[in-house]
Amino acid sequence: MNCRPIVLEAQHMSDESENRDMLICRCEEVTLGEILDAIDDGFVTVKDVKRATRAGMGLCQGRSCSRTIARIISQRTGRPLEEVLPKSYRYPVRPEKMAAALSKESEDESDR
Amino acid sequence: MTGGTDVVIVGGGIIGLAAGYFLSKAGKRVVVIDKGGFADGASGACDDMILFQSKKPGINLELTFESLELYKRLIVDFDDSMQFKNLGGMVLIENEAELAIMEQFVREQRSYGLDVELIDQQDARKKQPFLSDHIIASTYSMMDSQIDPFHVMRAFEKQGSKLGMQIIRRNAVEAIDLLGSGNWKVSCADGSSWEAPTVVNAAGAWAPSIGAMVDLSVPIVPKRGQIVLSERIPPIGETNLWNAKYLVTKLHKDSATALSEEEKALGLSLAFTRSAGGTYLMGSTREYVGYDKSTTIAGIKGIINLTLGYLPRMSEVGIVRAMAGLRPETPDGKMILGEHADRPGFFTAAGHEGDGIALAPITGKLLSDLVCNNRIERRVDELSPNRFGGTAHE
Repeated sequence: MNCRPIVLEAQHMSDESENRDMLICRCEEVTLGEILDAIDDGFVTVKDVKRATRAGMGLCQGRSCSRTIARIISQRTGRPLEEVLPKSYRYPVRPEKMAAALSKESEDESDR
Repeated sequence: MTGGTDVVIVGGGIIGLAAGYFLSKAGKRVVVIDKGGFADGASGACDDMILFQSKKPGINLELTFESLELYKRLIVDFDDSMQFKNLGGMVLIENEAELAIMEQFVREQRSYGLDVELIDQQDARKKQPFLSDHIIASTYSMMDSQIDPFHVMRAFEKQGSKLGMQIIRRNAVEAIDLLGSGNWKVSCADGSSWEAPTVVNAAGAWAPSIGAMVDLSVPIVPKRGQIVLSERIPPIGETNLWNAKYLVTKLHKDSATALSEEEKALGLSLAFTRSAGGTYLMGSTREYVGYDKSTTIAGIKGIINLTLGYLPRMSEVGIVRAMAGLRPETPDGKMILGEHADRPGFFTAAGHEGDGIALAPITGKLLSDLVCNNRIERRVDELSPNRFGGTAHE
């Protein structure tokens, strides 16, 4: 996935205070500064950062920002991306009306 | 690294972190070890309630009062609201049989100092305009409160770390051995080990496997609770909501209230709470499926059906996520807290079932007092791990 300038610049903007206000998670309005602080506090996976900051907990459930956050963590800590990204996704993978969810067929085997 | 550790805590959920904070504050050098990431277990897959109304008079209700007071003090000490809110709660009543039982229950709770009352259909609808017409009455208590588990855990971690607490994540404890020196040696998957005179088993649903490492039987069973999360919407009512139906069947086994087949199979009961993020958490199931943390389509549909039965208009609202946590259940519904007989320095603090968030501060404080041999003003014998009889692991 192409994560564009935010990520390309992440390495050298890490300590630049003027970028700390940049929104990384738009749904929950979590800034780069909050994410960097969480990483420095020892939260070093996308899931850790999500639970520590709410980044990725909003309407899009991290579909916009989780790879960006993964790269920020990876650049900050040196950990490889595959250690940083979540390993599984669960239903619902996108928002669905409650009434519509009821019509979903029960196929729990595929629900991992 | 081995030298210079007073307490090793196994499990970095809300209980382990609370214990770590209070022990660090008491001057102990603490290491917290967790097999997973931050809030990977039940503490990260739950609602955020400090709930009074579900509790029978007794130690759990008393501890909830004490824990709420501790939370209020921590909010000041930490200078962090941790998203504490006091929205109050209502338990929805659907028929006369439920009403009779809830009248009695509310009387008992009031005699114990809980500020709770019954309100009629009209008053219930004033507080909850979207309620289904078939709700005939409700309880109401302003005391039911909530606090964001993630904020609480991060705050305990941050404040504990300032006092020297260390947190090791993604490293499973594999063995615990008693050394000739009287210290315990805790060995981890990555080859590291820690020695300390005190070990605390705060592994929640996984506490039995940690106990087994020192030949102890810890009678905790994992009970899966699935929760469905809505998109962020404006508040649809004043309070959080529960249903009387499930509570009533627990209070009176032969009660006239009938659970549907789906409700029985999934152990469904309504918990409808507004989260710190402005979404609604809808739950929950109570399933005995071992250590399987999957969410299931049957569970999600069951929760949606249940919710729509009380709040039909929610059908237009989107769900964004489902999650499941393993609630650590004990045989008598009380947590396990204390030192094990014949295992000097080996403590358990686990088995909070659905009350880990509510009871974390008081658990951490009491555990710290027990480890430090401080005088404790309340009786905690009935929480002792030795209450279940034999200590040998079977």
